[in-house]
Amino acid sequence: MIPDLDITGDVCPMTFVKVKIALTTIAPWGKLAVLVKEEALKNVVSSLHSEGHRVTGVARRESAFLIEVEKRGAAG
Amino acid sequence: MNEADFKELKKGGMMRQREAGLFSVRLHVVGGRLATGQLQAICDAADRFGRGTVHLTSRQGVEIPFVPAESLAALKSFLARYGVRVGVCGPTVRTVTACQGCAVCPSGVIDSPALAERLDREFYGKALPHKFKIGISGCVNNCMKAEENDIGIKGWIEPQWSPAACTACGICEAVCPTKVVRIAEGDSAVAVDLSGCIGCGDCITACPTGAMGEGIRGQRICVGGKFGRRPVLGTWILGVLRTPDEVLAAVRAAVAFFREHGRPKERFGDTLQRVGLSALEGKFKERTGLDT
Repeated sequence: MIPDLDITGDVCPMTFVKVKIALTTIAPWGKLAVLVKEEALKNVVSSLHSEGHRVTGVARRESAFLIEVEKRGAAG
Repeated sequence: MNEADFKELKKGGMMRQREAGLFSVRLHVVGGRLATGQLQAICDAADRFGRGTVHLTSRQGVEIPFVPAESLAALKSFLARYGVRVGVCGPTVRTVTACQGCAVCPSGVIDSPALAERLDREFYGKALPHKFKIGISGCVNNCMKAEENDIGIKGWIEPQWSPAACTACGICEAVCPTKVVRIAEGDSAVAVDLSGCIGCGDCITACPTGAMGEGIRGQRICVGGKFGRRPVLGTWILGVLRTPDEVLAAVRAAVAFFREHGRPKERFGDTLQRVGLSALEGKFKERTGLDT
């Protein structure tokens, strides 16, 4: 998995803002690979959940995590 | 007025000021919450009987300073008409403090103001060997500084892992602030060392699959904390209590223990040091049936 978006240099709330913007560029059910540092994981994953997206894959990348996000369906 | 009279007045929330004949009158506030009508009555009372100011105390209380001795009775009956009672001081159970809790705060785990009301109803003003403070934080962010109280209460989430949905992705391990969530080497089992868990629930919030869930959403209590000249943090005791009823039972046991073993002018924590924490644990077991 190669990251589509790297937010390891950002801090909250820009971390999730950037993910949201990136999600607007893909179709419902589409996938987005995001590189997230440990400190931002909890907020990014819980924000994704609360907006109806799913985290469908997680892989460790040294001190960061590469997460695969599935954008929620149009009705969701 | 003699010393004994002053002591009685103080127990009833009327504290003698530096200047003779003047009193600072402490009011009864539960969990830092006042209705606007009560606040207006307090303002009016401060104008009529004091000098137009109120003091907000360090434990969510309100005092009206500069009230002359001869106005104390009139002030009391004026406030009573608006549902404001005079508070307490001296060797009694003091103000039960609380945050806004889960009804207001996004981080809240328990309804701290509701629990404060129940504790206040049962214990406020009760005579004990020394002052006795109870404080409630709705979650582990601990805005109410639970450990500074004779009994501190904190909202707490105990995680429970279920293997079915787990992909061993490692997010729970990464987000755990005390590093007690561990993915076992070589396989996909997640182990949580609950003895070091601080009950924040971050592992649950961050879990992408729902494999990490809530085992218990409840509260824990700590005993023997205080501030003042020699601050001491309270000691966590018992496991996670599931209901407000269990908290009430535990506080009841602790208060009974203090009444039985405490000496005058000795704070609860000092009694525990002298008598031993295990004696209190025995009392908990006997009175609540809860495991210690």
